[in-house]
Amino acid sequence: MADKDLKTKWNLTPGGWNLEGVPAYQDEKRFTQVGRSVPRVDGPVKVKGEAVYTGDMILPGMVYGKIKRSTYAHAIIKKIDYSKALELPGVLAVITGEEAPNKWGIVPQAANETVLAIGKVRFYGEGVAAVAAVDEETAEAALELIEVEYEPLPVLLDPFESMARAGEVLIHEDSPKNILHEGEQVYGDIDKAFAECEYVLEREFHTNYPQHGFLEPQTALASYDPQSGQMHLWASTQIPHYLHRQLSIVLEIPMNKIRVTLPAIGGGFGGKGEASIAEFVASLLSRKIGRPVSVTFERNEVFFTNKGRHPCHMKVKMGLDKEGYIKAIDFDNTLDKGAYSGWGMVVLFYTASMLHLPYEVPNVRFRGRSVYTNKPSTGAMRGLGGVQPRWALECIMDELAEVMGISPYELKMKNAIESSHTCINNMFVPHSEYKKCLETAVEKSGFLEKHGKLPFGKGIGIAGGYYISGTAYTLYQNYKPHTSVMIRVDTEAGVTLMCAAADIGQGCNTVMAQMVAEELGVHYEDVHVQSGDTEIGAFDLGSFASRLTYASGAAIKMACVEINQKIKETAAGMLGVRADQLVLKNREVYSMYETKKRIPWEKVVEAYTSINGSLVGLGNFSPPRRKGIDIVTGNRVQGANIGHSPTFGFSAQVHEVEVDVETGRIYVKKVTEAGDCGTPVNPMSVDGQVEGSIMFNLGACLYEDQKLDANGKHLNPNFHDYKTPTTMEMPEMDTNIVESYDHTAPFGVKETGEGAVQPTFPAITNAIYDAIGVRFYNLPITPEMVLKALKEKKAVEASSK
Amino acid sequence: MKKLIELDINGRLYEVAVNDRDLLLDVIRKKAGLFGTKKGCGEGDCGACTVLIDGKPELACLKLAIACQGKKITTVEGLIQEGGALHPIQQAFVDHGAVQCGFCTPGMIMSAKGLLDRNPKPTLYDIKHELSGNICRCTGYKRIIEAVQAAAEVWSKEGVK
Amino acid sequence: MFLNHFEYFAPKTSRETLELVSRLGNKAKILAGGTDLMVLMKAKAISPEYLIDINGVEEFKGIVCEEGKGAVIGANTKLAEIQFSEELKAKYPALAYAAGEVGSSQVRHMASLGGNTCNASPAADTPIPLVALGTKVVINSLSGERELLLEDFIQNVRKTNLAEGEMLTNFILPEPVPQSACRYTYMGRRDAMEIDIVNMAVNIELETDGETIKNVKLVMGSVYPRPLVSKEVPPLLIGQKLSEALIEKAAEAAQGEAKPIDDIRASAEYRREIVKVLARRLLKETYDAAKGV
Repeated sequence: MADKDLKTKWNLTPGGWNLEGVPAYQDEKRFTQVGRSVPRVDGPVKVKGEAVYTGDMILPGMVYGKIKRSTYAHAIIKKIDYSKALELPGVLAVITGEEAPNKWGIVPQAANETVLAIGKVRFYGEGVAAVAAVDEETAEAALELIEVEYEPLPVLLDPFESMARAGEVLIHEDSPKNILHEGEQVYGDIDKAFAECEYVLEREFHTNYPQHGFLEPQTALASYDPQSGQMHLWASTQIPHYLHRQLSIVLEIPMNKIRVTLPAIGGGFGGKGEASIAEFVASLLSRKIGRPVSVTFERNEVFFTNKGRHPCHMKVKMGLDKEGYIKAIDFDNTLDKGAYSGWGMVVLFYTASMLHLPYEVPNVRFRGRSVYTNKPSTGAMRGLGGVQPRWALECIMDELAEVMGISPYELKMKNAIESSHTCINNMFVPHSEYKKCLETAVEKSGFLEKHGKLPFGKGIGIAGGYYISGTAYTLYQNYKPHTSVMIRVDTEAGVTLMCAAADIGQGCNTVMAQMVAEELGVHYEDVHVQSGDTEIGAFDLGSFASRLTYASGAAIKMACVEINQKIKETAAGMLGVRADQLVLKNREVYSMYETKKRIPWEKVVEAYTSINGSLVGLGNFSPPRRKGIDIVTGNRVQGANIGHSPTFGFSAQVHEVEVDVETGRIYVKKVTEAGDCGTPVNPMSVDGQVEGSIMFNLGACLYEDQKLDANGKHLNPNFHDYKTPTTMEMPEMDTNIVESYDHTAPFGVKETGEGAVQPTFPAITNAIYDAIGVRFYNLPITPEMVLKALKEKKAVEASSK
Repeated sequence: MKKLIELDINGRLYEVAVNDRDLLLDVIRKKAGLFGTKKGCGEGDCGACTVLIDGKPELACLKLAIACQGKKITTVEGLIQEGGALHPIQQAFVDHGAVQCGFCTPGMIMSAKGLLDRNPKPTLYDIKHELSGNICRCTGYKRIIEAVQAAAEVWSKEGVK
Repeated sequence: MFLNHFEYFAPKTSRETLELVSRLGNKAKILAGGTDLMVLMKAKAISPEYLIDINGVEEFKGIVCEEGKGAVIGANTKLAEIQFSEELKAKYPALAYAAGEVGSSQVRHMASLGGNTCNASPAADTPIPLVALGTKVVINSLSGERELLLEDFIQNVRKTNLAEGEMLTNFILPEPVPQSACRYTYMGRRDAMEIDIVNMAVNIELETDGETIKNVKLVMGSVYPRPLVSKEVPPLLIGQKLSEALIEKAAEAAQGEAKPIDDIRASAEYRREIVKVLARRLLKETYDAAKGV
């Protein structure tokens, strides 16, 4: 491992945690459980094939649901005749859109999707009816017997065409311009700033239409009990609470009669960050027939329902002064929303907020619009709202550095923000080691020795990025905590953390166990984590926006205060010392002054519970509304929802590529990454997140794109032609965790799951430029584009000779 | 008309009634109740359903169950060692952080087993080439490959069944 | 995604198989590896009434590779066996390499050489080196056996020369002549799990001087409805010593012959570009190999 030294450093107490004599009260960073590369708590069951995913569950009397999907991208539904389907033996029920007309959507102000289409379909593959049958074979056969009559409407696949033809064709009747939302944010005096700039560049960038490609398709199992009126849904989701709430709206059942439980989840990457039709259909069918119903998507349905990354059409203008300090950014973004609103409004404004970091930018203008098209909807995908503008900005900075005749590294270092930075839009960054990220990546990769000096066809590129940490778009416009946890301590179950956080594979259950253990002074193996259940755990927004480690960490710390106080008071009596001099570490309680006065932690728990019963601590967390919402007036500040992120994670990447200049193939050979994730709670997990992030966006940069024909029909709704990277595409990866500790954060932590996807597109794009002297403004960068560009370049060079 | 067939899965004989068209993946999961084998795509593109048939890695989603009579089928559940200990490949996956969401993991482990049975000392290229039919979206593959390398070392030192 | 209902047969001998093939005719499909067949059936592109599983028939499997006598490969020999066969790697490296680049490890353990040919996909890997090697296929039916050059066997997209009641049972590879070499290459978007954008094999035989080209065969895939054997390259190169200028000329000739289509994987224009690049590289590589460099 390249980063062995750092690992040892972070494994603060590798072999044990003998802290005898260490004045722990002096050093909040002296951890025993946090900072250790421990194996995941769910590792063994997963390698044995014993982890239970939703699709692995069978309930007594369970039947299967399937969805009939539209074969038009935009059409009026004239008639749906399912009488023949109902006659098929084994078919139990058929439903259509009219049975659940309430609209759902993750952003309540813009909810506009129904479970199944009502009146018209807006994308190819939209659900129009659903069947429950005794087995999957019968359900599938029944779909063939449902007859749907359509009257086709013009199909709008391009956002600019969609806006231009809005007078003629509307996708949603209540959106007269085919625009979901448009907005403007202006800070400073942009025109004045540009007038004073020495260097100004203006470019257009266009991103592609990738999808998450999580391995486990959406799956839901609903069990409705007609006698109690209780619905229990097991689902592959990132957002138990949002799902819970939306089920309540669609089913018209109060939330306290619905329970959402998450079995093991086979990946999400944002794609399971909205409710899925599978969940609604399973619930509706179960309620209709009074039996458990299981719905699992086929792979093509995952593509049909999409919710992947927004294609963005960005016009960017950046200005620097004589010394190279960024003075202004003017940014115009047209987002391709697809058919329904989903996360759209949030993504629109995240792309605005992303302009303000990780560099100091005194003047910013953002103009943007999210435009409906007849495509499967876009939504949240790893690095939501950040990846597209980051690509544009880091590429344009590379170009500006060249114009100035300096290294892009120098330009980035010059403008990089430091701790305690307030952006022009009031975003406050308490802590940043971004410069250290840039330095580390540059030093370890030998960037300065290689950049501009490699032979034709080989290149090296650098880019940086950041992401929010600990906040989220708030469904509720109030101070409701984003996370609540309960910790129970007793002699029967030991330590149990109960919460509704969602471990979608990222490993939060392990990290939360480490944090609870750290705070209580026990070992992480002692902590049972009961997560992802709306009945066992209290409110949690879910796994998205890289919020969990921070938010859960803060809530856990709060919940432990009360427990630790009682443990200390009890132990104090037993040991005959003052409670406030007691230390809880390594399953022991001891006096920090007289270390011989010690007692096993378990004995103290036994003593307390034998008199008082179980110890319970509650904790919650809300991001500080620092500038997001004006507390006196209640007015929202521009960019508010990202503005109250309590802290930010940073990353820098250097990519080395080889371009086969005859075939146009691009090979990423080596990636050197350095990340500021605050304290790495589990460094091995951090590396896993970062490596996964790099490959995720390496795929979207070079291979992945969903393609539709002129009628909006998917051309590649499968893994043969939707090309994710394989092991063969994996470059050498050297990921480094820079030393960082955010004193404002619980345990000093920050995010790592989304910051590290940000630099990948631009680092590759810049490396390609270094290799062949061609800048690309469209994604994915295909071999065909490379060859074409090289030909054009040759022609230009020939004519200028 | 269903037919009663016998399948040898992990050394146990399962008597199952199948239609000619039934796929091995569905039979392993629904009839034998072995849910470790996953369906990620159903089209032979992702490798999540990889099982060993007579020791060779094959795709259960493209295999007829009826065609597997008389063959030895090994699923991820069949790797478990005496006393419930993990197989060295499984142990290496846990220790090296090669597991995130875990959905690709059983198929990945079975592909690795197929590789190491045939070639206990694979090069980095061999590992990449032979695991390229197993898609993982979480890990970026690095730790998976490290885990297979580590397992290969244990393999060559200690010998494994 | 269920398959249609069909009746399943698992013959044990060649005779039994041929009887079934004869009796069931076009309503039946032969199941060898199933890696293409099952996908087509799941997509409802085809719905055969009968499947004849030939995996129980030992006569259709195996590699017989004798010194000086070429090789005979059973139609149901798995691609992985070909990929890993030391004998084939030594004698027909182009074929072993092509077999090892099909799909994934799992696919190669399932898919057969015969299936890769009979599926008649224009993008298939193994038919290209097989054609370049001058392979003949053996076609059997109840009424007898016939042999045919592979290049005449594959006729069009998903169409072969098989008549009703016939099946492909063996591939006969001629012994490579001295001072000859055959090589294979392909181009896709990724380095695994690819459906090739272009693939190509070149077979070169030299005169006894070890430099002059006596015979050359260049075969292209994914650029024509069936493996395309270049007609223009041999007259350019035969009797010549390969030079940079000749390579360029030959590559351009191959490019001119290719008639690719636009599809989701690549444009026709790009495929034509790649034909030229691959031809250039492969001619050089094969020539060097024939020279023993």
